[in-house]
Amino acid sequence: MKKAILFVFLSITFFNIKAQDIGTFYGGFESNSQWLQNDDELGFLAPDDQFRSNNYLLLNYNLGNFTAGVQYESYLPAPLLGYDPAMQGNGISNYYLNYKDEKLDITAGYFYEQFGSGLIFRAWEERQLGINTAVKGVKVNFRPTDFVDVTGIYGQQRYGFEISEGVVQGVDANFDLGHFIDNDDLFVDLGGSYVGRYQDNGGNVRIPTTVNAYSGRVDVTFKNLYANFEAIHKDEDVLVNEGVITNNANLYKGSALLLSLGYAQSGLGVNATFRRLENFSFFSDRYVEGNQFNQLRINYVPALTKQHDYLLSNIYVYNPQSRLLLLDFQQQAGEMGGQFDIYYTFKKETALGGKYGTKLSGNFSYWGGLDADFDVPTNSYSSEFIGAGGDRYFREMTLELKKRWTEKFSGIYYYTNTRIDKGITDGSPLGFKEIKANIGVAEHTLRLGSGQSIRLELQHLWTEQDRKNWMGSLLEYNFSPRFGVYTADIWNYEGEGKLHYYNVGGSYTKGRTRVALNYGRQRGGLICVGGVCRFVPENSGLSLNISTSF
Amino acid sequence: MKKIIPFLFTICFLTVNAQDIPNISLENLEGSTVHLQNVSKNDKLTVITFWATWCVPCLKELDAINDVYSDWQEETGVELYAVSVDDARTVKRVRPLVNGKAWDYHILLDTNHEFKRALGVSFPPFTMVVKNNKVVYSHSGYVPGAEDELYEALLENK
Repeated sequence: MKKAILFVFLSITFFNIKAQDIGTFYGGFESNSQWLQNDDELGFLAPDDQFRSNNYLLLNYNLGNFTAGVQYESYLPAPLLGYDPAMQGNGISNYYLNYKDEKLDITAGYFYEQFGSGLIFRAWEERQLGINTAVKGVKVNFRPTDFVDVTGIYGQQRYGFEISEGVVQGVDANFDLGHFIDNDDLFVDLGGSYVGRYQDNGGNVRIPTTVNAYSGRVDVTFKNLYANFEAIHKDEDVLVNEGVITNNANLYKGSALLLSLGYAQSGLGVNATFRRLENFSFFSDRYVEGNQFNQLRINYVPALTKQHDYLLSNIYVYNPQSRLLLLDFQQQAGEMGGQFDIYYTFKKETALGGKYGTKLSGNFSYWGGLDADFDVPTNSYSSEFIGAGGDRYFREMTLELKKRWTEKFSGIYYYTNTRIDKGITDGSPLGFKEIKANIGVAEHTLRLGSGQSIRLELQHLWTEQDRKNWMGSLLEYNFSPRFGVYTADIWNYEGEGKLHYYNVGGSYTKGRTRVALNYGRQRGGLICVGGVCRFVPENSGLSLNISTSF
Repeated sequence: MKKIIPFLFTICFLTVNAQDIPNISLENLEGSTVHLQNVSKNDKLTVITFWATWCVPCLKELDAINDVYSDWQEETGVELYAVSVDDARTVKRVRPLVNGKAWDYHILLDTNHEFKRALGVSFPPFTMVVKNNKVVYSHSGYVPGAEDELYEALLENK
């Protein structure tokens, strides 16, 4: 293996030195390391591997219609805290060879792909979440004309440096109907997918070896209006909880419905999305259903809520509940709900717009459990298609105002009202306790000229439940567009221990390379500093991030 | 072996000059396919930037450029392609946001990050000036004032 790595490096380097004409070489490198430290006040005991590092090197080589690539990953001596410990080690994690012309696109090796919105199938990489569900096998995409597009996939999904026991196969077809409609304002796309998983049942004939799912989609755009609809049926399969088949190996089918409607014109955009999921978990290994690291997920079921940008707004975030659980201590059949978004710009030189214009955006989202009756002793349940009896899991409203006051001074004002089932935030059974929270954020940026700027965020979270009130601030100073430092603290001043989560750090960017250093405590969530956003899990210590592309 | 890898990195870095735009097609908001190798052909000065609806610095950068975009276009003929890396979670917000903000950019959707991955980009925002499929300038991240550097890069490569 080591020789193979060396060979790849050397040959690519060699090609590159020799001439630009015989192909191009490109890729990227990313390194995220941490040095964890004991923190008595936080109750954080550093694990044996105090130093942890995740590293990714992607190299691609393109010559004419052919592209080949390898990704080398190392999690040494251990993966970052919060990542699947099974990822420990190093080696070539992905490799591929691709041929691509105008009609045909064939990949052998590890590939990424998405059918429709990904609700039925998505093989993807998200390093910040430790997800890489690339499939090792073959992918063929065929585009015979500019209005038809067919993709077939076959292979096993990546799991750390191994692959899944189950085999995934699928076909996706898209048809641009608008091509045949003589109307420049109307676009109609139709799509359909099939995805199946085969896994040996070890001789237990009650367990299906093949589980298939089928979906149909339609996307319509007419002038400023648009609508998308997707429906998925998933064949019957056993239920699994924490690696064990439950409910006497009875079989249950699953379904998903997704509808999105929108209107957009210059200065105004609105969008409404609805989704209903019932027993909709799909994994390339039936025994990993519901695993906390999102490994071996065949499909992609995101939380359809606003993705917040501030430390305190990211404490109470929703996590989708797509599973069917028919257990003595927990019964759920799925989730149903939606969200509504609006974006509006008050024009310049109007009363509310002022000299520079004012931008307003709002989000409302509601998610609840399906209205269902459960009979655990007989392993059965029944659900309403749309019913009012389901528990509320999450409801949130956010208003955001962006205003530039003068040429140099601008502000963002952000307010969120949240109600969330406590079980969503800590993974305990749902329906026992609700948390109500209000969060307010004011962010101001002052430009000092010649690339220097100063930014201040002030935040407060009010809640009577859970850990009570928080306040927070972040001060950032940029010496130039390349170099900036910051200090931040969120303080749980009414909570147990009155904990501070402080941080100091800085980042240096030059062209395609960025280096960031950070010291402090992480509560976890999305952090945006120096112009880049990333997710971080809770810990205490020093972290170093390097990323570059070439 | 472990010592050799950094050494090889260094060699690779030293020998690479301009980055090329890979042979990838993305869809725009109208559902039409755009070949990325066509957008900067024939000396056409192009800015390609990766962004997302949830990325505050990205929105700040695109808002800041939007204020001066028509001046830049008049002066340099530049066209800006804003490549959204929103996935299914947030991609439905792209169209209302773009319209709500009245941006005049070409919007492309890189929902499963094929283009982002091919360029080795870790996080948005990531902004490049491209001409004849060569990346002549790039920066990652955004802080106020970075758009002025971008403007200088455009003038240099006009």
